[in-house]
Amino acid sequence: MSNIDFLALGPEIAVTAAAVLLLMIEVARKPSARVWGWIAGIGIAAALGLSIAGWVLGRGTDANLYFSDMLALDGFSAFGGIVVFTLTGIGLIAGWGLVTSLRRRGAEFVALVLIAAAGMHLMAASANLIMLFIALEVASISFYVLAGITRNRAADEAALKYFLLGAFASAVFLYGIALVFAATGTLSMAGQESFLGETILLRPGVLLAGIALLIVGLGFKVSAAPFHVWAPDVYQGAPSGVTGFLAAGAKVGGFAALARVLTVPLDAYLDDWAPAVAVVAVASVVVGTLLAIAQDDIKRMLAYSSVAHAGFILLALTAGDAGVEAVWFYVSTYALQVVGAFAVVAAVSGPDTGASPLDSYAGLGKRSPMMAAGLGLMMIAMGGIPMTTGFVGKLGVFRAAIDAGYLWAVVTALVATVAGLFFYLRVIVRMYMDAPGGDAPALEVGRGPAWAVGITSAATIVLGIAPWPLLNMLRDALPF
Amino acid sequence: MIVNQFLVLGALLFSIGVYGVLVRRNAVLVLLSIELMLAAVNINLVAFGAFVDDAAAAGQVFALFVITVAAAEVGIGLAIVVLIFRNRSSANVDELDLMKW
Repeated sequence: MSNIDFLALGPEIAVTAAAVLLLMIEVARKPSARVWGWIAGIGIAAALGLSIAGWVLGRGTDANLYFSDMLALDGFSAFGGIVVFTLTGIGLIAGWGLVTSLRRRGAEFVALVLIAAAGMHLMAASANLIMLFIALEVASISFYVLAGITRNRAADEAALKYFLLGAFASAVFLYGIALVFAATGTLSMAGQESFLGETILLRPGVLLAGIALLIVGLGFKVSAAPFHVWAPDVYQGAPSGVTGFLAAGAKVGGFAALARVLTVPLDAYLDDWAPAVAVVAVASVVVGTLLAIAQDDIKRMLAYSSVAHAGFILLALTAGDAGVEAVWFYVSTYALQVVGAFAVVAAVSGPDTGASPLDSYAGLGKRSPMMAAGLGLMMIAMGGIPMTTGFVGKLGVFRAAIDAGYLWAVVTALVATVAGLFFYLRVIVRMYMDAPGGDAPALEVGRGPAWAVGITSAATIVLGIAPWPLLNMLRDALPF
Repeated sequence: MIVNQFLVLGALLFSIGVYGVLVRRNAVLVLLSIELMLAAVNINLVAFGAFVDDAAAAGQVFALFVITVAAAEVGIGLAIVVLIFRNRSSANVDELDLMKW
């Protein structure tokens, strides 16, 4: 029962060891930022390598459970690891300007990013609700600190809002776990799956209430409407260098947890939770799109657009098992788009400042053609225009939801997609058609954002034109 | 064993916590209310754990984990509140209005 396999825990060990090593060396030697970068880079590369090894061994099979059924090693968790650690690497590169501007505290920042990555991967790999809760908190608590890392007035406000609402959502999530535990008598997801598959509950009220609270708690983490109120303030207030990582990380971890909880233990109750998920999805798409139109700060606009994207991804979950592939494709490609877009924001308005008004993007096409092209591409991809990953992702999500019988939700989402083009294209118009205000000089772009934008743009185009490698990989990985 | 009385106590505590989060304006008191919610969940978990009667005592173990995580969370939360207080010499959540939609 207590089978131990360190490959299942390998990625966490790698990044946690890197974080601890980094802090100890920082205390003893006070090395330069370059040394932090090397330690973090090696840790992330090792974690990524171990995730790939896990994918090779675990894909396509049923979940192998380790550590007293606490951790699952399967295609789902391994693919989650690949996405999370890629994202962490690119996020660190994009935010390196913030790390150096923090001086000695930069080491804490890098260590927190590594710990958050461990938490995010654990969210994808947990096979027990205790483990899931711990993973969620490891990632969330790191995120609260990262949001306020610069300690200025905008950042502290973002951190407190994120913290208070996040802790509230965690408590709600926990109450949901307690109710599911009460209904099934076990906290192990595999145990719950077999219990609910074999037993017909005469009075399922407790279980259904528990499911509802779980959806609310995780819906908060992925910023689905109506649990999205924290997102715009946190996105805007948090320093730009870390916003992309926060935004993408919360989405990846949250959807990994949501997909696993809903499709593994609660699969037998698909007909009960799918309509609720569909309603939340449509609410997110509509609210996110409508409010994004009204924004004049690009970070707030991206926040509301992320609410809409959370809705699109939730649509795929209404199909249960069959939608998990679409969820992963959308979430992984969207995470890259978000990191790329925020890398541009960090380059334009500085990695350690919060606000980034849309006016400062006027004439960006002249000031920095590369950054403008990168942001333009991300806007096109988020809008769902063909030849980008955004289009392929939306296609998969819509198909999954139609197959599940939620045509009305898909039609609403389609209308919202068209309406959403308005604010995505507005950014492009600003960048290329408007003249820069005043005497705006050519923008100096650091190597970090340039690399991050380059990598994410390449991935967005290549996977948008030829998505089959990733789709095949997902099909291989998921046993459903 | 009758589990109802524990559940009613848990639900009441949780509701008081939610009420506190919604009504209190001081960040420290909001934090306290969130702690109350976690304590309510702990009562539920321990009660269910005793009621379900499995050998691994999952409910009780989970309660210990929740206590630990809650302590970590409060550590971070109070640090953020101290930071807010230093920046604005007030910990009133209504005054956090730098950003609005």
